[in-house]
Amino acid sequence: MKHRKRQDIVIHSILFSILFLTMLPFVFVVNNSLRSNTEIYHAFFGFPNCIRDMTRFTIWHMQNKDDLIMLKMPTDSEKTESVRAADVPARKVPYDEAMSHLWKETTKGYRYSWLVLRPYMVNTIFVCIITMLGVVTIGSISGYIFSRYKFPGNRFLFLIILSFMMIPHVLTLVPSFLLVKRLGMLNSYWVLILPSIAGGQVFAIFLFKGFFDGLPEALFESARLDGAGYFDLYWHIVLPLSKQVVAVVMVITILGTWNNFLWPFITNSDAKYHVVASGLYLMGQSQVASNFSTMFAAYILSSIPLLILFVYATKPFMQGVTSGAFKA
Amino acid sequence: MKQSRLQTIVRNSACYALVAPTFALLAVFCLVPFVWAFAASFYRYEIGGEATWIGIANYQEYLSDPTLLPSFYNMFILTFIGVVITIVFPLGTAKLIFSLSSEKARYIYRILFLIPIVVPGVAVMMIWGGMIYSDSGLVNETLRLIGQEDLTRGWLSNPDTVLYAVSCIGFPFASGVNILIYYAGLASIPDSVHEAAQLDGATGFRKFMLIDVPLVLSQIKLMVILTIIGGVQGFQGMFILTRGGPGFRSMVPGLWMYFNAFSFQRMGYACAIGVFLFVIILALTIVNLKYFKSSEDLQAAK
Repeated sequence: MKHRKRQDIVIHSILFSILFLTMLPFVFVVNNSLRSNTEIYHAFFGFPNCIRDMTRFTIWHMQNKDDLIMLKMPTDSEKTESVRAADVPARKVPYDEAMSHLWKETTKGYRYSWLVLRPYMVNTIFVCIITMLGVVTIGSISGYIFSRYKFPGNRFLFLIILSFMMIPHVLTLVPSFLLVKRLGMLNSYWVLILPSIAGGQVFAIFLFKGFFDGLPEALFESARLDGAGYFDLYWHIVLPLSKQVVAVVMVITILGTWNNFLWPFITNSDAKYHVVASGLYLMGQSQVASNFSTMFAAYILSSIPLLILFVYATKPFMQGVTSGAFKA
Repeated sequence: MKQSRLQTIVRNSACYALVAPTFALLAVFCLVPFVWAFAASFYRYEIGGEATWIGIANYQEYLSDPTLLPSFYNMFILTFIGVVITIVFPLGTAKLIFSLSSEKARYIYRILFLIPIVVPGVAVMMIWGGMIYSDSGLVNETLRLIGQEDLTRGWLSNPDTVLYAVSCIGFPFASGVNILIYYAGLASIPDSVHEAAQLDGATGFRKFMLIDVPLVLSQIKLMVILTIIGGVQGFQGMFILTRGGPGFRSMVPGLWMYFNAFSFQRMGYACAIGVFLFVIILALTIVNLKYFKSSEDLQAAK
C-alpha cells in the first residue's frame, strides 16, 4: 500500500509537469492579451501593468488612502491634441475614474478583436449547427438502414460508402473548388455546409452502423410485431439508445467544422462569409496583427464557444470514445 | 427468377429511398471531384481559359520539378517525426494516467489533457508562429533570460531549424483525443494479464513494453496510419507559418499543389500533384492493411 502511494506521487508530479508545459503557451496568451505592445516589447515576461495598478488602487481604496492614486490618464484636451501616452503627466485621479480607465485599457484588445470576430463567430456557429444536424440526421438514418435491414446490395453499398474514406483531401481539394465554382456556390453558406456534410457523413455512418449492430435484435422484433414502421423504430428505439454515439459524432463534426481553415479560406473571398478560422488567419495578415493584445485576445475569444461545448459534451464524448469505437 | 429479384428491390424501395441522400451527396461532392482530379491532370487548364489536352506532360513536369526532392525529403522527415511523437508521448501519458490508483484522479487528468482541443488549429499555429518562435518570443526570451543569447535565432526563418521547429509545434504533444484512444486500449486489457505478468516477474518498463504495447497495437496502428496519411497530405501548418520558406526548406508537396492551383492558376498541374500524392497514400494504406497485423489477428494466430 505504501509502495502504491509513493508511485502515485511520482506519477502525479510527472503528469503535472506535462500538463504545465501543455498549458504554458495558453497562459502566456492570456497574460499578454492584457498587456500593451509597449509592455510586451519592454519585457516578454511580466504581469499586466493595468491589472497590477487595479489591485494596488483597490487595496489603497479599501485602506481609505485614495489620495495615493496617481495615474497617467489623458484629459479630454490632451486626447484631442493626441499627446503621446508617455508624455502625459501622472496626476491624482478619483478611484472610480481610475478603475474604469484601467479596465478599458486592459480590455482594449478584447473589445477590438470582438468587433472583428463577431460576424465570423456568428457564421461559424451557424455553419457548425447546420452541418452537425445534417451529418447526424443523414448519418444515423443511413447507419440504421444498413445495420437493421437486409436488402439486395446492402453490403455492397455499405462498402462503397466506406471506400470514400480512402479518398484523401489533398486529391479532391482543387477539383472540389472547380466544382463549386462551376455550381456557382462560391461565396455562400452552401459551400461551407454541403461538402462538409457529404464528407463528414461517411465516418458517421461507419460509427453509427457499428453501434447499431450491437443493439439487441429482440427489441426490434417485438416492436415490429406491434406494427412499428421504419420511422417508429428509428425514433423510439434507435435514437434513445444511442446518445453516446450521437454525442461522439456531434463533437467530431463540430470540431472538424470549427477547425476547417483551408476550404472556407479558398472558397469564400467575400468577408461576409468568413468563418473564425479563416478570419483569424486574415487578421494575422492585416494591420491588426501589429497589435499583439488584439491578436491574443482573438485566439482566446475564438476558443470560448468550444470551451462552452466542452463543458457540456465532455462526459458523453469521453464515454463514447472510451467504449472502443476507435480501432484499426 | 429475375422477376422476384425485381420484386425484392421494389419491396425494399423504402430502404433505398432512405439511403439516397447519402449517395446523392457522395456522388456530387466526393465522386465528381475524385474523377475530375484524374481527368484534369491530363489538361493544361487555367480558370477562365481553355483546357488543352496535354497527356502526361503534367506528370513528366512534376518529376523534374525543382521542389520535388526537397518537398518529399521534408515530408518524409516531418512524417517520421510525427509518427514517433504520436506513439511515444500520448501513449506514455495515457499509461501514466492509467497507472494512478485513484479512479477520480484518472478521470480529471483525462479531462485536463483534453481541454486544449478547444483552441482552433489555426490559432495554435499562429500562437506558435507569433508568440513562441518569433524574434522576441517565448523561446528566444527564455534563452536570453538564462544568458544563452548566442542560441537565439529566428526559428522559422533559419533554414537549419525550420523543419524541427515545425515538428515541435504542440510540444509536449500530450493533448487531445489521442490520449483517450490509447487510454481506452489500455483499459480494455484484462486484469488477469497484468497479474500473470506480475507473477512471471515482469515489472515497470519491461512489463509496459512486453504487455501493454502489444495489446494496444491496434490503437497504435490506427494512430500511425492516420499520422502518415495526414503527414503526406498535410500542409496547413506550413501554409500559415512559413509558406514553404526559407527557400524550399519547409516546402511540402501539398503546399506546392496549393500554390500551383491558387497562386499560379495551374489547375491541371495541381491535380497531377494531387494524384501523385493519392497514389502514395493508397500504396501506404494497402501495405499497412496487408502486412501489419492488428492485435486481434495476433491473438488469433496464437
